Amino acid sequence: MASSILKAVIDGVLTGGVYALMAAGLTLIFGVMDIINIAQGVLVVLAAYLSYVLSTQLGIDLFVGLLITVPTLFVVGVVVEWAFIRRLAGRERTAMSILVTYAVAIIIEGLLIRQFSTDYVQLNAWYVDRSFRLLGLYLPYIYVFGFALAAALLAALYMVLYRTRFGRSVRAAMQDRSAARLVGVNVERVATLTFGLGVAVTAAGGMVFGATNAFNPNSGYDLISRLLTIVILGGMGSIGGALGAAVFMLTLEDVVSVVWSPTWSTLVFFAALVIVLSVKPTGLFGRAAARAQ
Amino acid sequence: MTRLPDGKVAPGQDPSVGAGAVGDPAAALLSFDGVVAGYGGGDVLHGISFQVPRGGITCIVGPNGAGKSTLLATVSGMLRPRLGAISFQGRSLVGLSPREVLEAGIVQVPQNHSLFREMTVRENVEMGAFILRDHELIRKRLHEVEAMFPVVAKRAGDKAGSLSGGQQRLVEFARSLMLDPALVVLDEPSMGLDPQTLKVVFETIRLMNEQGRTILLVEQNARAGLRLSTQGVVLESGRVRLEGPGREILENPEIGALYLGGATTSVAGSGGGTRG
Repeated sequence: MASSILKAVIDGVLTGGVYALMAAGLTLIFGVMDIINIAQGVLVVLAAYLSYVLSTQLGIDLFVGLLITVPTLFVVGVVVEWAFIRRLAGRERTAMSILVTYAVAIIIEGLLIRQFSTDYVQLNAWYVDRSFRLLGLYLPYIYVFGFALAAALLAALYMVLYRTRFGRSVRAAMQDRSAARLVGVNVERVATLTFGLGVAVTAAGGMVFGATNAFNPNSGYDLISRLLTIVILGGMGSIGGALGAAVFMLTLEDVVSVVWSPTWSTLVFFAALVIVLSVKPTGLFGRAAARAQ
Repeated sequence: MTRLPDGKVAPGQDPSVGAGAVGDPAAALLSFDGVVAGYGGGDVLHGISFQVPRGGITCIVGPNGAGKSTLLATVSGMLRPRLGAISFQGRSLVGLSPREVLEAGIVQVPQNHSLFREMTVRENVEMGAFILRDHELIRKRLHEVEAMFPVVAKRAGDKAGSLSGGQQRLVEFARSLMLDPALVVLDEPSMGLDPQTLKVVFETIRLMNEQGRTILLVEQNARAGLRLSTQGVVLESGRVRLEGPGREILENPEIGALYLGGATTSVAGSGGGTRG
């Protein structure tokens, strides 16, 4: 039993890293723009399908394919922001963003169904089905590689945010948009690039998701409910919070699945959100009065 | 000499006395001419016209809703006027973005604490030079503001959100000087400050002015603001009610009764100023 729990904890941490990457994009977009991107789940699935096409049609390795899917998703994000999000204004912007991005999700889902049907598919590569033994435990290569990829991309995201001029403008816009404008930050441009960046990181998450789960165009809804839970639990707009919450939630889910039953693991996932928010309404790592408008 | 909007001299004023800069286009750094602006469907400003003399401190006072902050928003590029002209050193500001206004030489310190709370003090001050690319120049300016505002060097690595209200205000001033602006626009610099800190803040504004910068400030603490200023402008319901040297406005019985709580005769000796 102890080794099963240890294995569940390791699996939770490894999977949590990938979810953290996907949630980081979501929380970054919210932090800068006050936009709740409901389409983030289906964009993950879109990324998974892109990896699927590159892998099955062109024989491109899943990780190598990221060189194509990440920039592609960045462009998709920029286009979505330009076409739909930029037009949202006023006090109802955040609430309206839920409806608009939901509509975007429906459109993308419809296009995916038209192209791929609702049959489940899964990404394949030599490392998807193989494991290696470490300290008596079998660890699937894809989980370890996926975690390493997520850690590398999160580190890169950190470097961009804290070591570049663009990152400084993003952080300024996240904290106080008016003040950012008054020091010369082009907040609209920052928002567009941030939306692109937030969507681009889903490309990596989508690839790992598609390699570890069978998916179809409808898979985005379960995903977005989990990602939103992670982002809210971590504190809206907090990237570090998303990282911590993702690892915490996925580990909790895996441990409950082993100790209790897989049936209850999903319930515990969402029950944890309710319990934490009732004690700390700003989430595990959130702060009151997040920022001025 | 205190002037009413129609150009007449206020009752009881001698036209031969007063700051010659007021109303003199040659000495004006910033000019408003018939500015109409507002939000949504309504106008807040209804044809504002006055000039900000070069090298002075111009203080705008008026009751809540008079349009003071709205007027500053039209200067900083945050709000585009619907009608009228705003010119700075002969160049029109209408339609410029906040970044272009910065490049023209105008920096605004907004009303509410505007530091980026999760950034360090040093990062905040460097953000004041965000539009500059010359790292050597940024370093030079940073040394200059550190010399002027010791708190910048002393608390360089601390999160801005951990500073007191007064310290935050001084760091905001430091940030505003990173572009070495010709005009510094201050929106309610005394807001939320205790009297002792307010005194330091107002002395700093005077120092910034003595270093050659023109100051345009909106101040709810009308007495203190007008005592500090070389020129005062009284706004009421989006219109210029009165303009003239700050001390003369302070002594104007009508304005004193309306905006300064009456008792104008005791203004010169009252607290809240910076000469105590």
